[in-house]
Amino acid sequence: MRIIDTKTPGFIYGLMGNINLTTNHHNCSIVSDYKFKNDIASYLNSPKALNSLKMVLLDESYLTKTVQDLTESDIIKVNLAQALIANKDYLFLEYFDKYLTYLENEEFKRLFKKISQDYHKTIILYTNDLTYLWSIAKEIIYVDNKEIIHTFNNKDFKILDYVENPPISKFITLIKNKNIKISDYKTTPELLKAIYRIKEE
Amino acid sequence: MLVFQELPKKDTTIISTNYNYHDDIIFFLNNNAEVITKDKKYYINGIPQPLLKEFNLLDLLSKPKLTKQDELKLTILSSLDYQKNIFVFVNVLTFLDYEFKMHIINFLKLNKKIIVNYTTDIEETLFLDYLIVIHNQEIIIEGNTKSVLKEEKIFKKLGLNLPFILDLSIGLKYYNLVNKVYFDAESLVNDLWK
Repeated sequence: MRIIDTKTPGFIYGLMGNINLTTNHHNCSIVSDYKFKNDIASYLNSPKALNSLKMVLLDESYLTKTVQDLTESDIIKVNLAQALIANKDYLFLEYFDKYLTYLENEEFKRLFKKISQDYHKTIILYTNDLTYLWSIAKEIIYVDNKEIIHTFNNKDFKILDYVENPPISKFITLIKNKNIKISDYKTTPELLKAIYRIKEE
Repeated sequence: MLVFQELPKKDTTIISTNYNYHDDIIFFLNNNAEVITKDKKYYINGIPQPLLKEFNLLDLLSKPKLTKQDELKLTILSSLDYQKNIFVFVNVLTFLDYEFKMHIINFLKLNKKIIVNYTTDIEETLFLDYLIVIHNQEIIIEGNTKSVLKEEKIFKKLGLNLPFILDLSIGLKYYNLVNKVYFDAESLVNDLWK
């Protein structure tokens, strides 16, 4: 299965499902928690190393560090820096969000938007967190047994029938079970306003 | 840095920003705890079939190629050494589905084991009763989970969010729709619509 053959380039996509990410495509990088050998300068091995490190929120002090000196969060950021240097058109990120804080994730969302819009890169974020994907992805691809089962527009709540529901959706289901009429929402502020309106009626 | 100076006596979540687990892993391994990391090897033949059945994983025995998620679940099951008293999860549960996570937590609690869960997933803080927050290799706050999570300003300052249900109930409290914060969804819905 080749996900990248089916998608319009230059956008951010989400990917969910129980799969292993692999590629032999010459124009595609996979960013994971891969534990590289030697120090970061040798691993990145490029005049662009420092610039790339800065793009992933790390500084020049990291150049001499090895995997043993790093946290999991640092490791996946360095692997992203390496992918940025490789400058492929397609970038798969494997559970990238899981290694970062909420605030860091917000900062990286800005980076992903910039490189997809300004440099026409296609970014595919693989995670099990639908809330995260709702906040950034144009479409979410659901895959099972190596087959694309469905591609959902960001506004399509039918995805909830296929993947693990995030806490907000589980909460809305509990409300619906009380025979209260309420729509589906993706964010806490939206839900908060909806509950307020219902209670005021 | 070491989070623990001695072995923990109660179930504990450690939520951290950019934390290096190496010293903690060595500490727990030296003290006969079962440490479960993403890189740990699993031995599918060493997992009793009733255990695979209990966790609905029997089909993995005949699956031609396992995914990383499948392998992580098998790693956890193959680590269930009943002789051990402390089970340490090093940022592994976050990659798994909620149902499996709760199953394994409840299974260990039922068997009177102590659980230590290192995580970056704020929702997982609600699983266990004691919480330690680490930032820049330093313990910022620790204590009863509910008390610690009420320190909203500290979490924001560290770049962490709050669990969904707590965040929502803080908003509802602001709108005077509830008069306390909640840590479980059912209680909140039941109080909103009695």
